[in-house]
Amino acid sequence: MPKFDVSKSDLERLIGKSFTVEEWEDLFLYAKCELDDFWEENGEIYFKADSKDTNRPDLWSAEGIARQIKWALGMEKGLPRYKVEKSDVVVYVDEKLKDIRPYGVYAIVEGLKLDEEALKQMINLQEKVALTFGRRRREVAIGIFDFDRVKPPIYYRAAEKTEKFVPLGFTEELTLEEILEKHEKGKEYGHLIKHKPYYPLLVDSEGKVLSMPPIINSEITGRVTTETKNVFVDVTGWDLRKIMLALNVVVTALSERGGKIRSVKVIYPDFEIETPDLTPKPFEVELDYIRKLAGLELSDGEIKELLERMMYGVKLEDGRAKLLYPAFRDDIMHARDVLEDVLIAYGYNEIEPEEPKLAVQGRGDKFTDFEDAVRELMVGFGLQEVMTFNLTNREAQFSKMHLPCGEHPEECADYFNHPPTELVEIENPVSPKWSALRNWLLPSLLDFLSQNTHEEYPQKIFEVGKATLIDESRETKTVSESKLAVALAHPRVTFTEAKEILDSVMRHLGFEYELEEVEHPSFIPGRAGKIVVGGEVIGVIGEVHPTVLENWGLEMSVATFELFLRPLYTDPYL
Amino acid sequence: MELSYQEKLTLIKLGELKKAKFKELVEKTGLEQVAVMRAALGLQAKGLAKLHERSEKVVKLTETGREYAKIGLPEWRALKVLREKGKATLDDLREVLSEDELKPIVGLLRREGWASVRKEDGKLVLEVTEKGLKAEERPIDRALKLLAEKGSVPAKEIEKLVPLKELKRRKIGGEETVTERTVEITPAGEELVRKGIELKKEVSVLTPELIKSGKWREVEFRRFDIRAPVRRIYPGKKQPYRAFLDKIRRRLIEMGFIEMTVESLIETQFWNFDALFQPQNHPAREWTDTYQLKYPKSGYLPEKELVERVKTAHERGLAGSRGWGYTWSPERAMLLMPRAHGTALSGRQLAKGVEIPGKYFTIQRVFRPDVLDRTHLIEFNQVDGFVVGEDLTFRHLLGILKRFAVEIAGAKKVKFLPDYYPFTEPSVQMSAYHPELGWVEFGGAGIFREEMTKALGIDAPVIAWGIGIDRLAMFKLGIDDIRYLFSYDLRWLREAKLVW
Repeated sequence: MPKFDVSKSDLERLIGKSFTVEEWEDLFLYAKCELDDFWEENGEIYFKADSKDTNRPDLWSAEGIARQIKWALGMEKGLPRYKVEKSDVVVYVDEKLKDIRPYGVYAIVEGLKLDEEALKQMINLQEKVALTFGRRRREVAIGIFDFDRVKPPIYYRAAEKTEKFVPLGFTEELTLEEILEKHEKGKEYGHLIKHKPYYPLLVDSEGKVLSMPPIINSEITGRVTTETKNVFVDVTGWDLRKIMLALNVVVTALSERGGKIRSVKVIYPDFEIETPDLTPKPFEVELDYIRKLAGLELSDGEIKELLERMMYGVKLEDGRAKLLYPAFRDDIMHARDVLEDVLIAYGYNEIEPEEPKLAVQGRGDKFTDFEDAVRELMVGFGLQEVMTFNLTNREAQFSKMHLPCGEHPEECADYFNHPPTELVEIENPVSPKWSALRNWLLPSLLDFLSQNTHEEYPQKIFEVGKATLIDESRETKTVSESKLAVALAHPRVTFTEAKEILDSVMRHLGFEYELEEVEHPSFIPGRAGKIVVGGEVIGVIGEVHPTVLENWGLEMSVATFELFLRPLYTDPYL
Repeated sequence: MELSYQEKLTLIKLGELKKAKFKELVEKTGLEQVAVMRAALGLQAKGLAKLHERSEKVVKLTETGREYAKIGLPEWRALKVLREKGKATLDDLREVLSEDELKPIVGLLRREGWASVRKEDGKLVLEVTEKGLKAEERPIDRALKLLAEKGSVPAKEIEKLVPLKELKRRKIGGEETVTERTVEITPAGEELVRKGIELKKEVSVLTPELIKSGKWREVEFRRFDIRAPVRRIYPGKKQPYRAFLDKIRRRLIEMGFIEMTVESLIETQFWNFDALFQPQNHPAREWTDTYQLKYPKSGYLPEKELVERVKTAHERGLAGSRGWGYTWSPERAMLLMPRAHGTALSGRQLAKGVEIPGKYFTIQRVFRPDVLDRTHLIEFNQVDGFVVGEDLTFRHLLGILKRFAVEIAGAKKVKFLPDYYPFTEPSVQMSAYHPELGWVEFGGAGIFREEMTKALGIDAPVIAWGIGIDRLAMFKLGIDDIRYLFSYDLRWLREAKLVW
């Protein structure tokens, strides 16, 4: 969600009317923005605007917000009209750019009087559009140049990496290759072109470099100041439709500052286009659809008026609205998108909320009810419930548990799913510490105990949580099974104390169980067992091996058990 | 005057003895030493008795002394051998004496005149004398016996028998200072005893025996200092955040919602994104914002017709939409990830089939690639769901959200803001006015896009909602570090207030 600063007086100058800060809070909503914050600086009030819609770049600057509010307040009505005069400027696009960065579209805006605030907004819009809408310049990169320093025609061509120019912020010439290595922007965006045989370059008829899209402008033409009167706008990318929209957003914003838009002829090897193209786009909606879904009793006329306040050109015909919407938008895919505009114009807070009267009955998942009952029981034993993370790592699950699976997966033995030998791992973890989903719970409980060694003992804890196992037959090839895990730590704890609790749990759930002695590296030999119910191994019980305790930095004996809850579940209605 | 049982008992005994040593009082009353001490001090404070203390030097046997008392002094043991054999070498004496005792024995026997010493073949030979044969109990022997009998004897008495120096030199005895306490009844005490004291046994624990036998009638219950601090104990308790989630779950069920669950924390991108009409090039699906699995990498897509409809919705549009206009990749959709939002479950449920009208919810663990700090979690719980019904409208959506604010946050006022979610249009964000926190972003909602619901086979409008419960939970649990929702701090869990 793009966030940016706008000055109150700049907005009010653009609208031609003043408001209080409280009023502004509501006005911002018309532009799908939230007023996040405001502050005073040098006698000027600034707003932090949070634009909600990632598909509405036209609303990401003071000009766009002011325009929308002007319409919403009825100061203007219907489709905004923009005059575009043809210039005789031509841009030639090089065929060799096909696999490098194939498309560029251009425009000239003349007669600007930019003050500091307007300049700031222009740069902000250019950056935000390229960042969010343009996917960090991959799909859209924008350059704005002082047109008076450029001698048309202009060439967008594939350049050798050894060609040179002075990039913005530098005093000497660098080769294109050097720019990628040395310039801050080169380092940030270099990956977009680095592996290509040539680099894109925008030059004028005298060979003066305007920019190296999508990286950096030149120092000579690419520095726009409050002195600049006429600008040349360049937008490059991979999708013509997308970059033309970005161009429309930029030029219409500049025209709100009084600039005159002039179009440019762009000549590709196999076709040519005149840009920008500000022809409004048509759409049609059924008025009943709007009325019904809004839940508001709106007359045809009211809907028309609301749409006109959202900058639509509207013609009503047979219960339908034939719409024209401005060329700086490209987000209308469905009548729903128009519906939202109608509702925003109406004002969300002007609508009386109404609770639907539905004859329905609530019900909880029965297994979750069962888990809750088990949790109640565990609390009854005086155990503290904990809730730990599912994210963990291979070391915690295996190595620290004295299991060879950690470093030597080939030596993994079968521990009857406690733990399973396979682990669900993340390809792109933020931290190696959180790079896998746990496949058993005991390490989580030991981790918990290891962080509380200074706290009074006995420490008796439990968790009902998920262990994620591989199951190739399922849609996600995994299954997260509900488990109960218990850990008891104090100076005199033994296996017996864990078994007492297990035994009691089983009696309370009405299950017969057996313990089968087992050798398991995580537990002390002779003090570990499989928990078997109806011939099926459902869990493990044991006294934690001192090596494991050492690995976790524990100086207190721990007795534990862990089991799957699903096999112990019975339908409460039977 | 309120007297404790111990004080009464002690005073009664003092009435008989008038003045008694502390030890004697312990014997007579049958109370513990500390109890008598406390009683004596109590009586003194009330002016009923007086405590006198006298310090005195006493002599006690050392470890060696106690040993000698048992087996005899070395000179007596040596004499016994001499009396039997007439004469003996040092080697003969070694059988009854230790090396330490052997060295001074010759001097000792000669000094007592119990033996004569001469050399034979370069060896010392001891021969018993007449005096030795007749030797009887000496003062030092009497002192040893006395000390062995009494344990400790006033230094003055011992000095009458043998110089203390001698006992110390021979490591038989040592000197100590002991304080002897005596307790004496005062006239006021005697007066009270004369009037008669009703003595009931005092107990601190009402035992089953006392109840069964009815003896509780004859005892007095020790008065407790009810203000005295007690040990801190901790109950078994639910995890506070989980208890909070339990409460929200119960509330949602009461409000008519059906709970949705799922079998894995892992999701295909299909359900996490594609089925929700989120285009494959959406920024949220980029590498930095979406986890991918190393193992297993890809899962399976659901039934073909459904996949086909989703593909069409993305590529060309469904339900009158123009679609996103790109080539949809099934391989991309098959990629696995830890589920990033609960809405994925809503999509699954809608495809599986729903009751119309119907209300659904889920409380799901979800995962986002973030760093763990005081304001971010790497995995957290989301509460969301949907309401489906033929005639649902945007007004209903606002009504549902407002109801959540009232029922769950106890808010009186709400306000709505336009918002954006890839899968809903129109979309709303709600702020609720919390009496303590002020305006809090409390939830988001929207009507699922038709491109999505049509592809999943649903014709009726579906209102999707989610409620942001974390800030509310943090307020409820009194924390400002979000990590405490999944607290690894046992102290905090033990002290945490009950959530209900």
